Amino acid sequence: MLKVRKVAAALAALAAAATTLAGCGSDGGSDPNVLRLWHYEGPDSAMGVAWNEAIKEFERTHPGVKVKFEEKGFEQIQKTAPMVLNSKDAPDLMEYNKGNATAGLLSKQGLLTDLTAEVTKRGWDKLIPAGVQVTAKYDAKGVMGGDKWFGVPNYAEYVQVYYNKDLFAEHDVKVPTTFDELVAAMDAFVAKGVTPLTNAGSEYMAQQFVYQLALSKADRAWVDAYQRYTGKVDFKDPAWTYGVTTFADWVKKGYIAKTSVGAKAEDAGVAFMQGKYPMMFSGSWWFGRVAAEADFEWDTFVWPGSKMTLGSGGNLWVVPQGSKNKQLAYDFIDITMKKQIQNALGNAGGIPVAADSSAITNPKAKKLIDDFNRLADGDGLAYYPDWPVAGFYDTWVSEVQKLMNGSATPDRVLGNLQKAYDEGLPK
Amino acid sequence: MATPQAGARRYGPGRYAVLTAYLVLAVMMLVPFAIVLLNAIKTPREYSTNGPLALPEGVYLDGLIDFWQRVDYGEKLLNSVLISGSVAVLAVVLSVLNAYALGIGRVKGRMWILVLFLMANTLPQEALVYPLYYLAKQVGLYDTRLSVIIVFTCIQTAFGTYLLSSVLSGFPREILEAARIDGANRLQVLLRVVVPVSRPTLSVLLVFFFIWTWNEFLIPLVFLVSNETQTVSVALGVLQGQRLMDATMTSASALLGVLPTIAFFVIFQRTLTRGITVGAIK
Repeated sequence: MLKVRKVAAALAALAAAATTLAGCGSDGGSDPNVLRLWHYEGPDSAMGVAWNEAIKEFERTHPGVKVKFEEKGFEQIQKTAPMVLNSKDAPDLMEYNKGNATAGLLSKQGLLTDLTAEVTKRGWDKLIPAGVQVTAKYDAKGVMGGDKWFGVPNYAEYVQVYYNKDLFAEHDVKVPTTFDELVAAMDAFVAKGVTPLTNAGSEYMAQQFVYQLALSKADRAWVDAYQRYTGKVDFKDPAWTYGVTTFADWVKKGYIAKTSVGAKAEDAGVAFMQGKYPMMFSGSWWFGRVAAEADFEWDTFVWPGSKMTLGSGGNLWVVPQGSKNKQLAYDFIDITMKKQIQNALGNAGGIPVAADSSAITNPKAKKLIDDFNRLADGDGLAYYPDWPVAGFYDTWVSEVQKLMNGSATPDRVLGNLQKAYDEGLPK
Repeated sequence: MATPQAGARRYGPGRYAVLTAYLVLAVMMLVPFAIVLLNAIKTPREYSTNGPLALPEGVYLDGLIDFWQRVDYGEKLLNSVLISGSVAVLAVVLSVLNAYALGIGRVKGRMWILVLFLMANTLPQEALVYPLYYLAKQVGLYDTRLSVIIVFTCIQTAFGTYLLSSVLSGFPREILEAARIDGANRLQVLLRVVVPVSRPTLSVLLVFFFIWTWNEFLIPLVFLVSNETQTVSVALGVLQGQRLMDATMTSASALLGVLPTIAFFVIFQRTLTRGITVGAIK
């Protein structure tokens, strides 16, 4: 009892302290010599490394100005950004997720600064490839591909095949360069009792197979209609039908394990890095981790037999409307677009948008970047299947799971996708 | 059925079944903690090569240390203790005052007041977040620890008032009358009689309020925008990436996150087991 009373007294003292402390809490941050910067990339990731260097460079070129950097969680920014940006505590510059439902929505609500004038003045539009620009520009309805810049992407991303060279050698399978060779290679693995592709049915990986297969029969107009609402979308068209039926067929043939229906992307990636599967079809966001953690020889190739693949510009630098130091924020973005920082991003395993390819010393990173540049130059970035309408991601996951389980026919799945798409279209 | 002997009954199969069931339950409860501990001391490379269930090859504490430094964990601990401690004390004080009026003072319409408190308790926090955000912004308390303290003091007080009122309405009238006859005024009755007698209940409430507030996530996430005001549970969210998760560092952070609660529980374990309805006449 005595102990409890003592502790209660201590807590009461704390409570008293709290009120005084909380009173002088955080300042609004209107100091003209402090740049308040938020992002949510880990310190060891390519972006984290490059941006850290950018902070140093900024403080060197802006004597007397300090960068007050706060690392945030992705989840926190996603959940609270509209509220934070609508208050006087908004940071001067922050990283934000690209897309209609995120940056597009905030731009429509007037919470982001229109950067168009700054972009042309500083020549960022010349540095960033056209395909990457799409996710940085929004129209009055907040739909991407518009005419006004609301963000600046520093990096890009795309989906490719990671393969385990050791497993290919062990089972005497040739590394494919065409789509037919890919199918032949998968047949060879299945014949040896190895499942060729790692997969995660309960997350993004499975739907990305379907979309990629559909893309191999599609063109730019088809992608624009689907992603930017420039035309009518018919899920029963040949491309979608091919994508869905081929995927179902691959599960039946054992190219993709039926048991992966409930797996998470993390499980699928770890299984690949453990050497259990010879191939993983996933994004460049795995690159750094595979490089650091895989114990075997590996390399990558772009999905064969398709002009387009999944990919886009990365997350954006956005300047909140309530930013008190906009000029400093523009200066900071400018530094992150400089060759020195862009090359650092590339050497750390990211895909810079404006790097000097010859300055990239790591051969695997160079291949990653060169492959991306080839895609971007060929107008081959097709974004991601869940982007067009809100809540589409969950529809995709559950429909593809049905396809894997065999509990719905391809025709039925396409019908359900059509329904969710039509209902979700912005009015 | 034959009448079993006393010995056979004591060691009968039923007892072993219960014991086994308890053991299984205990193992099931402890397995997640074991996995967290296992992965917290692994290198990321080991995790990716051997999988989450393999035993670590050695003790690797860099994950713990890196996380501590990355989020400045000491500062977060202080914030959490400050917020949870203040809320626990303030909410208990307010609950006692409310319950004294409602449970002993027999205010008119107290039934309805209690129903109102109960209803306030059942409101999901998601519904409260936006109005509270708006209010906090209007009075200039957004992004301060004080705002979270006020919000949780109210939320916990709603429950505390409801519970304490029922406990105090059963308070023996004889004691109260005896105190009155001895010349005690209302405040003295409260401080000298009611509070000392119901102290076990109050200590349990204090502990509960502390732990509940400690574990809160959504409201601190929304209200504590700056890193220097954040609590432990919000800081743990920093590791959640967009597409990748750092399993070993997440485990390390989870370990650091639960340790204070476990420590607190161990210290106050006796108070908790004393039960919430104790507090009758000595």
